[in-house]
Amino acid sequence: MKKAERVALYGTGKDYWKRLWNDIRGSYWLYLMMIPGIIYFVVFKYLPMWGVVIAFENYSPFAGIFGSQWVGLKWFKFFFSNKMWTRYLSNTLILSFMNLALYFPAPIILALMLNEMRHLRYKKLMQTLLYVPHFISIVIVVSITYVIFGSDGIVYKLTAALTGTEVKYLSDPGIFRWMIIGQTIWKETGWGTIIFLAALTSVDTELYEAAMVDGANRWQRLWHITLPAIRSTIVLMLVLRMGSVLDTGHEHLILMSNALNRSVSQTLDVFVYQQGITSGQYSYTTAIGLLKSLVSIILIVTSNKIAHALGESGLY
Amino acid sequence: MKKFLSLLLAAMMLLSMTSFAAAEEPFVLTVMLPDFYTDYDFNTTDNPVLDAIEAATGVRLDVQFVANSAYGDQTSYTLADPANMPMVMALTGARDPIVITSAQAGAFWDITDMIKDYPNLAAGSQGIYDNISVDGRLYGIYRARQQVRGGIYYRSDIAAAQGITEEPQTIEDLTKLAYALLEHCKTTEADDYVLNMVKYVAGTIGIATVSHGAPFNWGVNEAGEIYPAHQSPAYREGLKWLRDLYAAGGIDPDFMNVESGEWDKIERNGLAFMRFDCMDNTYRQQEWFEKNEGITDIIWAMIPGVKDDDGVMKLWPQNAGYSGEIVITKAVKEADLPKVLSFLDWCNTAEGQTLLNCGLEGVTYWIYDDGYMYTTPATGEDVATQIHTIQGSLNQLGMNVMGSLTPTVAQTALRKEYAGYYTAEYTNLIVNDPCHALTSETNIMMGTTLSQMLEDAHVQYIAGIIDDAGLEAVYEEWAALGGDAMTAEYTAAYQAAQAK
Repeated sequence: MKKAERVALYGTGKDYWKRLWNDIRGSYWLYLMMIPGIIYFVVFKYLPMWGVVIAFENYSPFAGIFGSQWVGLKWFKFFFSNKMWTRYLSNTLILSFMNLALYFPAPIILALMLNEMRHLRYKKLMQTLLYVPHFISIVIVVSITYVIFGSDGIVYKLTAALTGTEVKYLSDPGIFRWMIIGQTIWKETGWGTIIFLAALTSVDTELYEAAMVDGANRWQRLWHITLPAIRSTIVLMLVLRMGSVLDTGHEHLILMSNALNRSVSQTLDVFVYQQGITSGQYSYTTAIGLLKSLVSIILIVTSNKIAHALGESGLY
Repeated sequence: MKKFLSLLLAAMMLLSMTSFAAAEEPFVLTVMLPDFYTDYDFNTTDNPVLDAIEAATGVRLDVQFVANSAYGDQTSYTLADPANMPMVMALTGARDPIVITSAQAGAFWDITDMIKDYPNLAAGSQGIYDNISVDGRLYGIYRARQQVRGGIYYRSDIAAAQGITEEPQTIEDLTKLAYALLEHCKTTEADDYVLNMVKYVAGTIGIATVSHGAPFNWGVNEAGEIYPAHQSPAYREGLKWLRDLYAAGGIDPDFMNVESGEWDKIERNGLAFMRFDCMDNTYRQQEWFEKNEGITDIIWAMIPGVKDDDGVMKLWPQNAGYSGEIVITKAVKEADLPKVLSFLDWCNTAEGQTLLNCGLEGVTYWIYDDGYMYTTPATGEDVATQIHTIQGSLNQLGMNVMGSLTPTVAQTALRKEYAGYYTAEYTNLIVNDPCHALTSETNIMMGTTLSQMLEDAHVQYIAGIIDDAGLEAVYEEWAALGGDAMTAEYTAAYQAAQAK
């Protein structure tokens, strides 16, 4: 809600609280119905957030959050004092921006292609088939990749036979990121179309008819009607995506990593998993997680501001 | 009011019933152990072995088995949740950073002053108890292991066909053997290789480098300072040996992607003919070939090591005389501590060892007229499912600090040969890690990442992806990122320990 709207509805300052109170009194059943939702958010979302204080402690599960020793910014200093963090950060950013550039447009293009299909039952069938990969566990996707791209795999043998060079798909650090992006696109593109297809249904068909009468061809209709109609959805998704730029996930990368490609597969999330779960450095890794969240907030706020500046409604 | 009263009465009745029942119930001991038989469902309720343990000790085991491959992670999760810890846990690495930090944080009972009251536990090796101590305090009972276990084994039939009938004595002999086996690989159609290597490389690299004369993990120079093993020229020679064999086509070019679970299968499929690993695998592979391929000749041979260029035989320590430890967590009340300790004491008796390792005679093992133990009944029927659902991996609770007291299995020639290495003559050849029992702050914080870095570089070096200059660059990076700090901390700790 814009400030102007809020003022128009409830007034300002004292007025605002008075009117809110009146509103609650007038329709208290509605407010009562909100209580379970509020409790849910407080208990499961806001209270656990306080666990983040262990980033400033030398946390031990046996001493508990209240009994552990305070160490201030020790872990943040430790993280930046060790040069290894640049490697993790650059691996994270490169992978994220490759993801943004290559994976992000994929569902949009696919949704537009689906939208152009005229045979309704065929379109529905294709949609259903495209959703299936999303439900396949990443462990299985990686296993399939190993079978196809491993040294006994069909793709490996095919490229060796066609080009005469053996391409090590699974261990060449230069190929690693492309494999990860490729797997993500294969698995998630179909699922990602849902939100865009939903946006596309809201386009007024009369616009297309009018454009056709005016002699617009398919490309022109796509460019001048369809894309502008889903532009705000695309911007919204992009702003949301910016908030998770530093999230690469760890299970996918750990499954695909080996001794030869670890120099590019170690991202912040993988590091947090190794240090936090495998070595039990809870405080240290919470501190890294907190840093990540800070960066995410900054990115979301900034990109939302940019969206507003470009005349989009953005995220909020 | 009536309703409330009746509810109260019902609750009281229920309470009295449970407290009455508790007096009759045995002491339930929750235990977490690694599982090597995940394909079988361990029988928890109607299990004759658990019944027999209860009858003998009054302790009912409530075992939580965790797949061995996930055991490290599960240990970590468990130690992060003090409210739900099992009472007794097997820890597979007694010197792992998570174990040290948890012990310091008070996760386990300090049993330093208690074990003297338990004769079997007190009979264990004081040296190993010292090695698993944290800050001079003992938190667990080690699980004893035969130390001369790592070695080299190979297909002697193929070697003989290539004209090598003698077991290799020196590095030179070993090289000859490897390249003779390579000649055999070239004559076959299959994608077969000489040396069986997989994703897990620590053993292979350890054996290759130690046989060339390198220290294990860390070395001590004349000045009494600690240095990382990779700084020794012999270490590089060992790596080069593997690198050359790889370049010659003697190692699967894709070995770093092969899961460790495939290791045995590769040999069984006849796709590799030599392995640097535990020597006891030799007789296991031989027995598998006898059973499944109908082989009657001995086709596998083992050697614990070879002499390096200085004529000295050095052996890689597969373990430090133990493999992890059994700890009592704070989930045990102080009053119950003696009960748990006497149970662990009992586990070390002949009766306890037999129940944990072999189970019950006539159910999970059979003793024939020759006096040896067999895992198949005389009728010859396949009882693997019966054994594994009843026995599971209960042997993981075994500590055997006084040595093994269980019935013995029939001694084949290879088993006899393997047991022959259990002597001081060979134990004295083992290269021990001087920093094994020492603590380094940097190691606790970054050890996992730093050693991963070295291992990755060594794999890349073997696979010919980086050269000597590239390896040196990684060593420099390793030193800058914490390797130097670790070396300095270990040197200080080592000198302090020597001064005592």
